[in-house]
Amino acid sequence: MTVGEIQDVREKFEGTAGPGSVSDDSEALSWYASAGLAEGGKPLFRVAPTDATQVRELVKLARKTGINLVFSSSGPPRFRGDTVPSGEAVIVDMSAMNKVLRVDRRNKMALIEPGVTFSQLKAVAEKAGLRPLMPLLPRLTKSVIASYLEREPITVPKYHWDMTDPLLCTELIFGTGDLFRTGSAAGPGSLKEQWEKGLAQKNPMGPAQTDFARIVQGSQGTMAAVTWATVKLEIKPTIHRLYFIPAEKLSKLVEFSYPAMRRKLADEFFIVSAFALATMIASNPDEIKAIAAKQAPYTLAYGVTGGEYVPEQRVEWQEKDLGELAQAAGVKSTREVPGSSARQMLETISNPSAEPYFKTRAKGSFLDIFFLTTLDKAQSFIDTMRDVASRNGYPVEELGVYIQPIQHGRSCHLEFNIYFNPQDAEDSSRAKALFDEASKALLEAGAFFSRPYGLWADLAYARCPDTVKALKKIKEMLDPEDILNRGKLCFKEVG
Amino acid sequence: MISDEAYRELEEAVGPENVSREPAVLDTYAWQPFANDNPERWVIRPVAVAMPGSTEEVQALVKALGRHGLKFKAFSTGWGAYSSPTSDDVVQVDLRRMDRIIDIDEKNMYTVLEPYVCGAQLQAEAMKVGLNTHIIGAGPSCSPLASATSAFGVGWDCVYMSYSGRNLLGAEWVLPDGEVLRLGTLGSDCGWFCGDGPGPSLRGIVRGSTGALSGLGIFTKAAIKLFNWPGPPRVETDGLLLDAQSEVPENVRFCMCFWPDRKNQDEAIYKINESELCYIFSRTGLGATISIAAPHLMKHLTGASTLRSMITGDLKYGCTLIMVADSDNEMAYKERVLKEIAKQYGGVIIDLAAAKPIIRMFLMNFLRSTAVPVVFRMGGQMFTALDRNDTWDTQMDWADMGVEVKQKWIDRGGILDDMADNPYMVSYEDNTWGHCEEIFQYDPRNPDHLAALEPLFVEFSLEAVERCMEPLSSTDARLRKIISPMMGHYTQWQQKISGFMDGKRTADTGMYCDEVDFDLQKVDPDIRTRFEKVIEKFSWTEDGPPE
Ligand SMILES: Cc1cc2nc3c(=O)[nH]c(=O)nc-3n(C[C@H](O)[C@H](O)[C@H](O)COP(=O)(O)OP(=O)(O)OC[C@H]3O[C@@H](n4cnc5c(N)ncnc54)[C@H](O)[C@@H]3O)c2cc1C
Repeated sequence: MTVGEIQDVREKFEGTAGPGSVSDDSEALSWYASAGLAEGGKPLFRVAPTDATQVRELVKLARKTGINLVFSSSGPPRFRGDTVPSGEAVIVDMSAMNKVLRVDRRNKMALIEPGVTFSQLKAVAEKAGLRPLMPLLPRLTKSVIASYLEREPITVPKYHWDMTDPLLCTELIFGTGDLFRTGSAAGPGSLKEQWEKGLAQKNPMGPAQTDFARIVQGSQGTMAAVTWATVKLEIKPTIHRLYFIPAEKLSKLVEFSYPAMRRKLADEFFIVSAFALATMIASNPDEIKAIAAKQAPYTLAYGVTGGEYVPEQRVEWQEKDLGELAQAAGVKSTREVPGSSARQMLETISNPSAEPYFKTRAKGSFLDIFFLTTLDKAQSFIDTMRDVASRNGYPVEELGVYIQPIQHGRSCHLEFNIYFNPQDAEDSSRAKALFDEASKALLEAGAFFSRPYGLWADLAYARCPDTVKALKKIKEMLDPEDILNRGKLCFKEVG
Repeated sequence: MISDEAYRELEEAVGPENVSREPAVLDTYAWQPFANDNPERWVIRPVAVAMPGSTEEVQALVKALGRHGLKFKAFSTGWGAYSSPTSDDVVQVDLRRMDRIIDIDEKNMYTVLEPYVCGAQLQAEAMKVGLNTHIIGAGPSCSPLASATSAFGVGWDCVYMSYSGRNLLGAEWVLPDGEVLRLGTLGSDCGWFCGDGPGPSLRGIVRGSTGALSGLGIFTKAAIKLFNWPGPPRVETDGLLLDAQSEVPENVRFCMCFWPDRKNQDEAIYKINESELCYIFSRTGLGATISIAAPHLMKHLTGASTLRSMITGDLKYGCTLIMVADSDNEMAYKERVLKEIAKQYGGVIIDLAAAKPIIRMFLMNFLRSTAVPVVFRMGGQMFTALDRNDTWDTQMDWADMGVEVKQKWIDRGGILDDMADNPYMVSYEDNTWGHCEEIFQYDPRNPDHLAALEPLFVEFSLEAVERCMEPLSSTDARLRKIISPMMGHYTQWQQKISGFMDGKRTADTGMYCDEVDFDLQKVDPDIRTRFEKVIEKFSWTEDGPPE
């Protein structure tokens, strides 16, 4: 676009979202120009709408002008590159829409705008005796809605019944400019009228025979903008204890995990490698190395909770049954690992990551590789990753491994963290080479890249042509002019 | 009618022995016990029936139909008129030859199965490895695949085993053009364990709260979730239906709870669910249970005013729950909490362990929905009024409304007297949301009953809309046309999906996205006025929903 054209579009956008809503502050724009391995984005300017009407008008304007819109709800820093535009784009920064519009203790839900962060939601929820369901240590600026839309796994698999959880109903603005509401929020009636009738937008399915929230989830902003959503909250426990199970062998922890999750015995439930655990505990590189060296290769953390009625008895039952399962698997739980008591760790994982963001603490930067698999296959993927890491000269003991069971343990998010020093060109390029090679090797070995960012999109979609065909038709229906985050996923060229 | 040429192609697709256009055979598909409002007028007869035995045969069949301008309607276990054709150019695709449980992944708690596997069969196999399957309230002879991919999905066990649509993982799907689409991990050759992605989840077009009812293709295999079962590998049972006698496993408790009034009941139900106690949780009316178990007795009881007022008054607020446990400690905790809640809200718990014959008779009805066919005993037919499932409180409001509407029609002689209070209520996922449908019984040989069906359907639909809820009838082509503009014009989106998935219009879309004019002039004037008011009030404008 020429400077004149950009100026013209800028004026139109400001006319739509109001004076002061548009900025081309170069530092702020640089946050969108690159992230992780993605670079080369050309954010033209940033517009910050304050309500759904403005969002809708912006989408309509983009349809007229053909400009690419990249929606973003979280604050910086960014790591995955989904908000780095392919070429020129206007960044629609939704972070100013940051109200918690409703918290309903009885029905355990909140209605929130896209800019609401986990700390904000946690504070409001706790006042009502509730707690949000969080991914592992989200960064401070992470939007709750963005996290749930990205299907980031939550740390409590027993509350993860289906992939959409904890997201419930949504208000959407499709790329056509049409507004739509999903789940029981779809109506009839306004939200206010629905509340008056006792509804709380808790049923995520529908309306009728569609489930557009599922289409928008995982779509990296290519199908619709979300202007609000209802989310599940859970009761804030009256007793909450965390335990660790350190183990030399992952297989022991897997053996323990299957029956524990089948019986929905624990709340928080995840496994991390020594190095990943150390990044959660310590705040500087030396300390991380020292603490990691003292950990068992893998540590499982699980939480037990008591609620309103006989909380002690509930906790005792869970502790005892989990203890028996541990014994059967040949492992033992403790309340301490080197560098952290269980109490400290519980506090840590009940909040967003303290600054600096925990994955940057070891070496300044990191690359994540994550995908879905089942727990029984985790070890073979780890072997593949370790092979590739050592081939690339990466110290395998410094690999982060994070295994998060989801859907009651039916599958798991398996994540590898490659830590590197961004100031060191050699270290950076080694990390990048490892990332590329390992991503391909893991895909070959059967990794399911369900959230295909960057390089993974081409790799993952090459494997499922029938899915791609259907997705392209849906994209054409919901975003016929291809104005929503152009060039992402399998939508390189639509039609 | 089907042309000889088209018929020959069907024979080629699935083998001559698996196709029929014999009127007597076709009529076996054209009578349905549910939602059939006129015994003279059976549901629409298919022009032929074909029974494919594999995915490839389903593909060949669908392609042949496309070539001849015919439509398909899938039939897995065919319980109810939802599997019936809605126009006279439809071939019934009866999937009964596809009847295998392909896999039970014990560790990762899912199964892969074909359309004609029924709930009872799957449950029997799953229990052998300490697992269980969600079985819909329609009964154990229904197809778990049909409910997960294409129909509804409520059942007694939703508190622990969710809703069929939420339990779908990978799936194999023959599209209306005959091509195969493999959902989720399956599409990427990564197994069956996930139905979503990469990226956007195509489960979003497969279904919503209701499935496409065969309007978007035919599912030939699906993976669905299984759940923990701490009981024995086999629940020893003798006899059928109400004569059944089951051995009650040691770690199973079956309780009925009664509460002094609605307020206390609702508070208690919220607390019970928050405490995550239940394997089965439901609320039904006591009158309903009697009408099902002992319809002749019911006829006498309805005239006995003291008993009636006891059943619809003092014993009105009750719920039934089954608790299971993997350990004594777990059961002790659950029992203790239940007692505490009962104490707090003035409830009475009846542990049915003390009433052995009853618990032995009802156990499998709850665990396996076995007794469902007896709902037809009272009058020969039943139907139901379903609202949008959301908070438990709204479902109780729906139940109360149902009593009022039904009593009016009972008094008019439009439906049978089951004491009016006949809700089927369950809670989903520890009461993340709740369900209520109001069941009513009728005798299809009684002209007054038949005449009451349409007005009841309209009135219940209106009641739902007035309560800001999507009615069950959103799958009815006439009401869809009225309701869709109040809910973001969802039909238009479904039509677009149908348009790009089914260029040749080979699927029977009568229950999915077709719209038919509804002549409101024939509706009772009061009801019509109310309907016109909500249409005006709730219809979306260009700007979106009315705020
Ligand atoms: C007494 C009674 C009680 C009921 N109670 C309940 C209840 O508690 N919960 C509930 O959810 N429903 C209930 N129903 C409603 C309904 O009958 C069932 O939900 C539904 O029809 C399932 O029946 P089925 O498994 O036999 O499947 P079918 O009747 O074979 O199929 C159901 C629908 O899915 C389509 N279909 C089937 N197989 C496929 C396939 N492979 N691919 C694509 N489309 C397919 C069919 O065309 C049909 O539209 C009840 C019905 C009756 C008669």
